[in-house]
Amino acid sequence: MNDFKKFSKVTMRHLSQRLFSTRMAIMLPILILFIPGMAWGFSDPKVLLPGGISPSSATEVMFYTSLGIVFGATMCSVLLSFDGVSKDRASGLLEIKLAQPMPRTHQSTALVIGHWFAILIPTWILWAVSFVIVKHRMGDWPSIVDVLTSFISVALILLWYVLFSLIASSHAKEQGTSIAFGVGVWFLFTFLWALVTTMIAFASGISIGEENNPKWIGLEGVLDLFSPNGVFHHLLETRLNDVDRGVSPLVLWLVALLWSVIPWYWFNYRMKTIQP
Amino acid sequence: MSEVVLDMRDAVFRHQISSPSLSKPFGKRLGSGIFSINLKVRKGQILGLVGPNGAGKTTLMRILAGIFPIQKGEIFAHGAKSNELSPISEMELRSIVGHMPEQVRWQGRVSVKRTLQDIAEMRGVAYRVDGILRMVGLSEIENSPLDHLSQGMRQRLTLATALLGSPKILLLDEPFNGLDPIAIRAFEKLLEDLAKKGVSIIISSHRVAGMVHLVDRLALLHRGQLLIEGTLKEIESKFELDNRIQIEGTGDLPEFEKVIGTEASILESKSTEQRWSVIIRNQDDSLLHKLVSSKTEITTWKPKDTDIVEMICSATGQDLDEIGFGVISSTMMPYKNRGEEE
Repeated sequence: MNDFKKFSKVTMRHLSQRLFSTRMAIMLPILILFIPGMAWGFSDPKVLLPGGISPSSATEVMFYTSLGIVFGATMCSVLLSFDGVSKDRASGLLEIKLAQPMPRTHQSTALVIGHWFAILIPTWILWAVSFVIVKHRMGDWPSIVDVLTSFISVALILLWYVLFSLIASSHAKEQGTSIAFGVGVWFLFTFLWALVTTMIAFASGISIGEENNPKWIGLEGVLDLFSPNGVFHHLLETRLNDVDRGVSPLVLWLVALLWSVIPWYWFNYRMKTIQP
Repeated sequence: MSEVVLDMRDAVFRHQISSPSLSKPFGKRLGSGIFSINLKVRKGQILGLVGPNGAGKTTLMRILAGIFPIQKGEIFAHGAKSNELSPISEMELRSIVGHMPEQVRWQGRVSVKRTLQDIAEMRGVAYRVDGILRMVGLSEIENSPLDHLSQGMRQRLTLATALLGSPKILLLDEPFNGLDPIAIRAFEKLLEDLAKKGVSIIISSHRVAGMVHLVDRLALLHRGQLLIEGTLKEIESKFELDNRIQIEGTGDLPEFEKVIGTEASILESKSTEQRWSVIIRNQDDSLLHKLVSSKTEITTWKPKDTDIVEMICSATGQDLDEIGFGVISSTMMPYKNRGEEE
């Protein structure tokens, strides 16, 4: 059996173990509630969001629905992968796996892809269902580029959270630390980042709370590049009209690439040097 | 002597221990490990790797399994396809070695067969799973979930993972832990059969007595150093632990010096109420006859087994009090002075 076949089989094994786990059965209703549920709500013709906003196109509705990805799917990816390495390490199985004639980079890449696709497949399906719901409610389809951008953005943000959790899992000696790190990172970027942005704005002398202040918008746009959720929304915003936070699409995709490559490299390096 | 299949030359590996300081918050220092180990593994040979807790047995096993990379020295072995000794990478090592770690806590609802298939796929030998399950006696429970396995079954499953891929060298780290006597005997029989087929086996244990009948040679490890390697007889002879007899009897402790004269020397004697016990070093088989003739009441006459503590005390020149629990807490080496790093 060649290396690629071995790699594919191990990846599929990780994927199926996670996809058909009890954990996934528990998380699926949450995902359904957060993704198609939000799409249903935001596509209501009478909906009025805070600030008097009323989404007028399918792309806009899906942009607001992306909150379901930020709050639900990212947390599920943390919960799915927090013990990706630490469980095997605690049980002694990692020692057996490390003793197999399969390169460590292949093992770590199989872990990443297996865990990533385990959360990506149901999320993508629900994301596609959301498009159908929006079409049904509003009679509007987004353009193919909008659809592609949103699917890629969803895939990327889930990859980042899976990578954070696996890195934590590979460093933690026990699973409590690993889950604390994963949830902590999720909490920081999902809730606390707004606070970080506000504090930096205050320290920079930029008045806070003025939504139309170009300085505030510019600072928020730059600081969002340092948060996976921020980059995710930047990517989705590239398909919205009338939104310009001063970050060029090229820089944005480059930052998205860095958010993917650096943690992935870190995880591969960690798995190369890990001790059972 | 059979051909050498693995030759470890001056191998050094030291664990890195976290040692934070103000200037270096993520600083590390070198800790315990193994030092300049030279070890030859021969085809079809069963080698017992013995040493107390913290001696470096597991570290050495993990190096041989290709899990830890050595920091100095070299490992020569026959590759998966070649028949000549040559320096070998960790990846190549992993392809010729089957490793059974100490105590794997198999758990979950996944079946035995599926679990073994997971590992087999990493080796690319999924087709061998049924045969291996039969070999270790798990085929009847191949569909049972891991949570339902007894300790002995779990050990067998761990052994099965080591046997995947027809390894040339089998590493077994404390394999008899948790096994009942019947399972131990079956396990030993399996190992003997494998050795006859040319598989070299290294068994690590902190008990010598449990495996002297099984192993061809012993290697004594202490504080990361290989103190001696050879057959049990050679080791006993070198450390003057051979020809020892344990005699026990009733009544008062006899005056042995008078009975046995200079033919034997008394190494240890103990007596309690109406019972006594001595260990003598004897070269002459007529000693028993002399003792019986002198009407000494003997209840036990047996060769004294060598235990690991005696070997280490003899090798290091230290007594038990000096060695004690220090084997774990100290990395200082009593036997050889390396003159570096410490």
